[in-house]
Amino acid sequence: MRITEQAKQQCRARILEKASELFCARGFDQTTTRDIALAAGVAAGTMFNYFPSKETMAMTMVSDALAEGEEEFQGRTGGELAEDLFGFIASGLRRLRPLRPFLGPVLERSLSPFPRKNVCPVGEAARQRHLGFMQQILARHGFSSAPDYVATTIYWSLYLGVLAFWTSDLSPNQEASQALVDYSVRTFVHIISGSAGADGGEHVL
Amino acid sequence: MSCNAALTSYPESRERLLQLLPRDEDAAARERLAELVETACSNRPPTSSLSRLWILGSLQAKVACAYLAWWLKSRWADEDEKERTKNETHLKAALELLGTMGYLRGAVMKVGQMLTLPEMVPEQYVRLLSSLSFEAPPMHYAMVREVFFDEFGREPEEMFASFEKKAFAAASLGQVHRARLHTGEQVAVKIQYPGIARTIQADLKNLRLLLQPMRMGDDWPNLLDKLAEVESVLLAETDYLKEAELAQAVRSHFEPGDGIVVPRVYTECSSLRVLTTEYLQGVHIDEFLASDPSQELRDRFTHLMTMATIRLLYRTHCIMADPNPGNYIFMPDGRLGVIDFGCARMYTDEEWRMQCEAEAAAFRQDEKEMERIIVEASLYESAQEMGAERVELVGRVISWQLEPWLSEGLFDFGDRDFFLRGMEAMRQATKKGYLRGMPLHIWTTRFVLGARAVVYRLKGRCHFKEIYRQESAPEVRSPSLSANTGGSGSPSPRPLGEGQG
Repeated sequence: MRITEQAKQQCRARILEKASELFCARGFDQTTTRDIALAAGVAAGTMFNYFPSKETMAMTMVSDALAEGEEEFQGRTGGELAEDLFGFIASGLRRLRPLRPFLGPVLERSLSPFPRKNVCPVGEAARQRHLGFMQQILARHGFSSAPDYVATTIYWSLYLGVLAFWTSDLSPNQEASQALVDYSVRTFVHIISGSAGADGGEHVL
Repeated sequence: MSCNAALTSYPESRERLLQLLPRDEDAAARERLAELVETACSNRPPTSSLSRLWILGSLQAKVACAYLAWWLKSRWADEDEKERTKNETHLKAALELLGTMGYLRGAVMKVGQMLTLPEMVPEQYVRLLSSLSFEAPPMHYAMVREVFFDEFGREPEEMFASFEKKAFAAASLGQVHRARLHTGEQVAVKIQYPGIARTIQADLKNLRLLLQPMRMGDDWPNLLDKLAEVESVLLAETDYLKEAELAQAVRSHFEPGDGIVVPRVYTECSSLRVLTTEYLQGVHIDEFLASDPSQELRDRFTHLMTMATIRLLYRTHCIMADPNPGNYIFMPDGRLGVIDFGCARMYTDEEWRMQCEAEAAAFRQDEKEMERIIVEASLYESAQEMGAERVELVGRVISWQLEPWLSEGLFDFGDRDFFLRGMEAMRQATKKGYLRGMPLHIWTTRFVLGARAVVYRLKGRCHFKEIYRQESAPEVRSPSLSANTGGSGSPSPRPLGEGQG
């Protein structure tokens, strides 16, 4: 009997849910695919049809969370460049928050800017989508003609720095990370705009 | 809260900084200091927008730098040349670090203000006091929203019927937005910049390191005590729930007939990092003075300020340690609004005992006892150990502070000679490095100076002693609300404002 698309989706969701619970409880490295299959009540082979690796599962969660953040942010654009970029990053981080306990090693592995043997396709897709989104924001503020690879590389470096700091941020509600995002975004805007113009978000007063 | 001066251009800023350096020192020293400031400033190329933003971003930062420089400089007045050079090198590093702190500069500025206030009071600086309040980095609305999500799980626009996305004022540690509650009241919403408490801790750590060259001096342990004191008061200021509690307690000491308004706190819209209070209509001192108010009106506000201060001091043993003129609102109906209770310092029982003793000794004109108190407050064992010159000078400062207590009738706080006499005594004490004392006195001195600068600018008068008698009388000292002075409605000018011992 063929399983329906709906059943497939349910199974996929269940696997992700259980994997997330286990990652949070035990840590990413301490959780095996066997543990996850057991918890989700599926055969290991079946599970691999959905997700070829633990990393893919984790990055799928990341990718979904970031997509939700992007969607949420869509309704809130319209500020200055620095404000829009801050809002974009902050919405993503807020959606990622439930996954924070296990994200450190996952993001390090999947989003590393250094050359890797195995690139997680889901992670790479999430990265591309995030950068594409960022470029759209820049374009809306008139930065479309800037040499994209420079701006993109600088942005990505700052973003990874923020993620790295955020995953181990012990301050309440990761407020130290919020300040870091603010600072990083302003730095970025000033680098690409080359002036302390209005887009830099000087004091509102 | 104070409005931020517009960004000035780089060279202009530097010039202002240089102008702020003391003029009446010997020319060579001034020149050398100017050179240092110049070098420190020009280390960052003015073409870089980043450095312009973060290093020379606000006039306040530079003013604070200048004060800190001045203060540091006062410490080497009698050092030999070698020591001087060493300290200058250090000062240069200090200035550079202060400048590059970017985000962190705010807390350092505030510390700079606190430590240096006694030194920066010549008449020409009085006006500047008003623009010198701590300035947290600005938050755009996206950031404000994040703070609200964390504090309340909702957006400002959900919590309030309307919410202005742009702040209307900077506040200590954050900024203030106007909003309207669903029930219709207009409110002021103070929002704290995320993580500012850690910034304060880190900055004080840096400041201690910066001040290391002074560690050989006799007063080093006392300076460390003062820094610890500053840190604890600043950290307490980051807790808006505590401020809300204090504001409500203060509010309970005033009745509608008093002419003094302490805004109501809306606790349901307040948290550790967000404080929502009633919005008071009115103007700050600059605007008030610009309207060329009558002497009667000036006296009235002087009276109200005095009354508010003395009542708080005697009923709650608390002083508002941030003498920012922006904390007074001159309301159109003649009432005085008193806002912002973040920076408050409560007396300990021991400190209060000394305050009462000093007062009593002053009233009895008991010079012997006064001397004993001066010595004790300066943390010496005996007058001999303290030295006659120091006793005399510190005594002169304290007498000036207590002068209104000893004067019957109408006291004129606008009297130029009176004001300058006090400033001069403090300046001399500072120049001599006679700064050792109880940490509490950072706040009392700050407060007296701040408050007197305000009433001086107002050219206001009041029956200080009469107010003092009414507000400090034993039956009034209890927190009972019934002991109302009832004097506010009277058109005659009355008592005025500050407290300290």
